[in-house]
Amino acid sequence: MCCSSSIARDKALMGEPEAFDISAVKGMRFFDPHVHMTSRTTDDYQAMADAGVVALIEPAFWLGQPRTGLDSFRDYYSSLIGWERFRSSQFGIKHYCTIGLNSREANNESLAEQVMEILPLFIYKEGVVGIGEIGFDDQTAAEEKYYRLQLELAKEAGLPVQVHTPHRDKKKGTQRSMDIALEHGLDPYQVIIDHNNEETVKEVLDRGFFAAFTIYPFTKMGNERMVEIVKQYGAERIMVNSAADWGISDPLAVPKTAALMKMRGLSDHDIELVTYRNAITAFAQSGQIDEADFNAQADLTEKFEGNTILRGGQQPRPDKSSIIIS
Amino acid sequence: MKAVKEIIWSVIKNNISLEAEKWLEDFIQLPDQSLQVAKAFVMLPRKTGKLLVAINDDQQKALDTAGFGYIRSWTIDRLSRVWLLSNLTIQDKEQLYSTLERLFLSAEVNEAVALYSALPFLPYPEIWVKRCAEGIRSNIGSVLEAIMENNPYPSAHLNEAAWNQLVLKAFFTEKNIKLIVGLDERANLQLALTLVDYAKERWAAGRQVNPQLWRLVGKFINAEIFEDLKIGLRHYDQTEQRAIALAVTESEFQPAKDYINTFPELKLALADGSLNWNSF
Repeated sequence: MCCSSSIARDKALMGEPEAFDISAVKGMRFFDPHVHMTSRTTDDYQAMADAGVVALIEPAFWLGQPRTGLDSFRDYYSSLIGWERFRSSQFGIKHYCTIGLNSREANNESLAEQVMEILPLFIYKEGVVGIGEIGFDDQTAAEEKYYRLQLELAKEAGLPVQVHTPHRDKKKGTQRSMDIALEHGLDPYQVIIDHNNEETVKEVLDRGFFAAFTIYPFTKMGNERMVEIVKQYGAERIMVNSAADWGISDPLAVPKTAALMKMRGLSDHDIELVTYRNAITAFAQSGQIDEADFNAQADLTEKFEGNTILRGGQQPRPDKSSIIIS
Repeated sequence: MKAVKEIIWSVIKNNISLEAEKWLEDFIQLPDQSLQVAKAFVMLPRKTGKLLVAINDDQQKALDTAGFGYIRSWTIDRLSRVWLLSNLTIQDKEQLYSTLERLFLSAEVNEAVALYSALPFLPYPEIWVKRCAEGIRSNIGSVLEAIMENNPYPSAHLNEAAWNQLVLKAFFTEKNIKLIVGLDERANLQLALTLVDYAKERWAAGRQVNPQLWRLVGKFINAEIFEDLKIGLRHYDQTEQRAIALAVTESEFQPAKDYINTFPELKLALADGSLNWNSF
């Protein structure tokens, strides 16, 4: 009977389509504390800005396949604090990032050693709001080693930590991630445990950590389940993110979840906490987030190292419904 | 293995042109293979084409007997690449490792599939363990299939942690579990506990559980796992219930056996002994 993907089954999983009515949350502002914009298009930036996303955090992660040399890491980190931040600013979205060695690539130990040496060059830079995303994938000894080393780095720098919890063996991996963070003397209030689900949330909150939830089709949380979690556990120390990346994901996950919460009767106060305020509270502990920066109008004439995404007199707002591209 | 390689060579010869055959033979004769292998390995499909291999009955029988019958589902470039790698004459362990590692690091998808498919055919099996574990971290479906399905290397050589990761990831990525070589032989308590956690997570999300999961749990049922099985038996669909019931027959844990007998439908399904893991 098992097991290959089929469109019919995927459709069945998604249920009846229900239109996303942004008017339910018109005027609200959103913060997506986990989204990999380097994998996304300008259309995504535009749609996010239109839906009320005013700021985001892009955690450093792996690129879908392993890097084979140090320079690829260096260039990637540089792009997060350089070109990508600029690209985002052109849509009026304030771009922050977290910097770290992801768990998968921690398994390449000779390369991981070199990456650890260059991390201090990046983590003190402006707009770096934490060490992330770090933690476990396969839960190997090498992953544990570099997780621990980076926790020490975070402690030394006074930065929050954004912890990726594994897809597989999630419950144990989440517990272990928290145990180790506490063992290294981190304040759980400075640690954001990401990719939670129904099986992990209680312990994460009980132990004083922030609990982030990734709204991601098929493999992680659905937003209807998310609504139920907020109803059950309240809004304190809970945040949602899209973790949109190169996979089938949704950069509007945060505003959509806010709209669904509104439709399902959660208070505006709780919605604001979960889709905006709590993420700021957690990551502003870095001293790098100032809400006054959020409303800067997109300066479309701004250039980054002489480059702009607006090429040769292109209009900033192309009409997507037109067949003519001029 | 020599005999297997000979059958494979006979299959290859039946599937490629004389020109390509000579090209492969010439390569094997080269004195400086380590310098030339990258080019030959990469350009090989231009010589062999990429069609599914045709295998005659005698060849298939011989391959089945040797445990390599599955290559009938390979394309000729994949098979030729595996043959080429398995016939390298590089004797030095370090040199062989660095030569192939270079291929792995720059492999496109079909090359990666061939490289991982070649693992059971390579000398010094112990030096490929980390590479195999790294392959399991891939997100590319066909690469994962090359490692997980019909590949005898992982169960023969991976340590328990890497093996468990392979099996877990196979469930997560919806691979054909029945094609994992050594699946039942390498079942272990740690994996069983992790899979039960995974099942609970699926249930909490309102999702189904692949019934094959339970074949890896049966032998390890204890009081703790039993409590979780009860949840599955009470709430979920008939296929899952039957799979759990079948797993319980492989257990020594009497309370679980007694509990199954309280379900007339399951008792009946097990009674005639026809239910097995191929039923799912």
